[in-house]
Amino acid sequence: MSVLGEMFENFLSRPITILYPKEKVPIPAAFRGRVAIADDKCIGCSKCSLVCPAQVITMIDGPRDVEFKGKNLARKKRPQVKLFKCIRCGLCERHCPTGAIVLKNELSCSGTDGEIVLTE
Amino acid sequence: MTDPVFGLIYIFIFPGFLFLFIYALFFAFLDRKIASRMQQRVGPPFFQPFADFIKMLGKEVIDPAGVDRVIFDAAPLVALAAVMTAYLYVPIIGNSPLAFQGDLVVVLYLLSLPTLVLFLLGWLSRNIFSAIGGIRAITQLFIYEVPFFLALLTPALMAGTWSISEIVFWQQKNLWFVFLQPIGFIVALIGLQAKLERTPFDIPEAETEIVAGPWTELTGRRLAIMDLTIDVSLVVGSALVAALFLGGPLISWTITPAWLEGIIGFLLFLIKTLAVLLILSSIKVATGRIRIDQLNDIGWKYIASASLVQVGIVLVMNYLWVYA
Amino acid sequence: MPEVVVSIGPHHPALKEPVNFKIIADGEKIVRLELDLSYNHRGVEKAAEQRDFIRVLPLLERVCGICSHSHSTAFAQGIEEIMQIEIPPRARYIRTIIAELERMHSHLLWLGVAAHLIGFNTLFMWTWRDREAVQDTVEEMSGNRVHYNMNEIGGVRCDLTPAQVNAALARLPNLEERVNKYVDMVNYEETMLLRFRGVGRLSKEEALRYGTVGPTARASGIDYDTRKDDPYLAYADAPWNVVTDTNGDVYGRTRVRVWEIQESLRIVRYCLENLPEGAIRVPAPKNAPKGEILSRYEAPRGELAHFIRTNGTDRVERVDIRTPTLANWTSVAICLVNQNLADIPVIVAAIDPCLSCTSRITLVENQTKKAGVISFDELIRRYRSRNPEEV
Repeated sequence: MSVLGEMFENFLSRPITILYPKEKVPIPAAFRGRVAIADDKCIGCSKCSLVCPAQVITMIDGPRDVEFKGKNLARKKRPQVKLFKCIRCGLCERHCPTGAIVLKNELSCSGTDGEIVLTE
Repeated sequence: MTDPVFGLIYIFIFPGFLFLFIYALFFAFLDRKIASRMQQRVGPPFFQPFADFIKMLGKEVIDPAGVDRVIFDAAPLVALAAVMTAYLYVPIIGNSPLAFQGDLVVVLYLLSLPTLVLFLLGWLSRNIFSAIGGIRAITQLFIYEVPFFLALLTPALMAGTWSISEIVFWQQKNLWFVFLQPIGFIVALIGLQAKLERTPFDIPEAETEIVAGPWTELTGRRLAIMDLTIDVSLVVGSALVAALFLGGPLISWTITPAWLEGIIGFLLFLIKTLAVLLILSSIKVATGRIRIDQLNDIGWKYIASASLVQVGIVLVMNYLWVYA
Repeated sequence: MPEVVVSIGPHHPALKEPVNFKIIADGEKIVRLELDLSYNHRGVEKAAEQRDFIRVLPLLERVCGICSHSHSTAFAQGIEEIMQIEIPPRARYIRTIIAELERMHSHLLWLGVAAHLIGFNTLFMWTWRDREAVQDTVEEMSGNRVHYNMNEIGGVRCDLTPAQVNAALARLPNLEERVNKYVDMVNYEETMLLRFRGVGRLSKEEALRYGTVGPTARASGIDYDTRKDDPYLAYADAPWNVVTDTNGDVYGRTRVRVWEIQESLRIVRYCLENLPEGAIRVPAPKNAPKGEILSRYEAPRGELAHFIRTNGTDRVERVDIRTPTLANWTSVAICLVNQNLADIPVIVAAIDPCLSCTSRITLVENQTKKAGVISFDELIRRYRSRNPEEV
């Protein structure tokens, strides 16, 4: 009998479906979305490339000057992420010593070139 | 029927086959929308069954190896023709111009044809799932048909006539049968739900057990026609129950201009069939499927005895009050 | 009708994953069952041997979608015990919270699937709607709805902020009310009782003899729950009870699972309210000392066992995963005999099968094209006959 009561209650009220994409749900801050790399913080230590379980991060040439722990260093390499093969596990973010590579809470990840990550 | 043009318009346009086609697909939409709102979902838009029908007509027809193609093409059409013919005898705006003594029996017979067609299709598709589904359809037919016929016989007994239109007339002069024979009304609704193979009686079509039963090998236009048959049966069944128990398209006082009476009768027809649909959809949402042996148990123990009790009560009432 | 072979699978609307049940049926009664489990084998155990401890955890998490945290935690626990490091209390509590949230969402999913299999789509829609509350909570805490990746060797990957804890606590009362309604529905709803009662009965002796675990065993009256018998994480601190039932049929298993959701709610509430302060991880060494360990964990489906052998490097030498579904398959074959054809999906679903966890290898002989399963001794004999120099 409780089924009947709830059925008629539901019949007279609004459905709970969220009509995406017209209505949107707020995405939590901890959501593991698209990868982003900050060039000015990255010291090219290759740790992200070593811990990635799916092996989608490769280190390429990218000479630049970075400030790290008060000193100015000339670094040589920077990471490159295959965006569409990334499984968004968050291990690179966890093991990065400077917080240069992060997973933003962006839900959609579409693009035309599937291989490279642009820096922000 | 004096005017052949009037007859043709009645049969083919309004309230004939064109109106039936639109109303049947609209009923299918309403059924799905009510069910989904009760589950707190949004449900399909109003043109969904129309779109499904048109899309299905254009799909490829796949014939399994070794299957008789002629019967596979003809059987759904026979089922559709049967229920569309049954529709013509049900009163929609007043009494049906094709009414005659005994049309109740003809309607009941024609409404059983789709189940026989499903059994035939299940048996002829060389597929174990369809065979099991076809056998379940026929077993279910045997179980619910007896109480269903008896429950629809009792209004005829009390009104003293075999014509649906005259039963409606009788109700206009006296009480609606839903008040005089409530047990019969309930048995008729359960029987209708079993005839249309809807939950809790969708045993022949159990998707999670036997894929789709006799519907497994139907594709393309055959599936479109068979789906339309079930939708039309829903309309005819609701209209029959509305006519026999809820007074049909007539109200207890007569209204003087004949065209106004026609319009009011049509509106009453719509309201009463929608009320029956609401009850049937609620039953569909509130229950799960039962097994065929449990249906055997419940059908013969409770439903058939309830209908026999109802027949007995009607005979007693006839003797004491109606024909005293 | 004479005996026919009704093949449920590998593609069938009743199945969520590919498996082949060859049912030999006589009319509507089942005579025999032949089972083929090999369709989802992906070679995870071999792949795990080639990844070091940081990279192997996401791989093991992806053995299954619904019990992902179970595999990851069981492995992490085992390695931590071999390395002899102790994770801080806050990490233990966070692991427990995620584990119990996973159990709740798995049981709610199961309830919906069981209702769908008997054609009761209303309950399916309602339970999956309420499951969204649990999924929203885990998404806020870990970043994803499945595959939480909360574990690492030595603790957890990320912390719970007070805002997350309060948001989770705010969702619990409504969920509790809904689950109480489902307990009522399971016990009193007519069509569910008709379809679940007396179906697939497994007595206590049969359950013990065929090695069933999890809610399947607890529904037959066996008081066996790894969280109480071999406590790990925070289960010794939180107040909760083991749920058993004496019915032993699908009805009993349904009742056990719905009551377990209520117990999980109690554990989650206790852990959220009493979350200890402190670090969330301890530094772990790169290599693990040589050793063998059997790590046990109570997954939503039963007792999960990881056998791990390490050899002093930064990878495992062998990990063998014995999932609860594998232990429960024999009971399905036993309780399917003499039941109706219409009850097959319900009986199979009552053990909550997770075929991604289970798949074992089937051998196909190329010349004769016969398929079969061979025993462990036969496997050793074939290996030795092909590699005589290694013997």
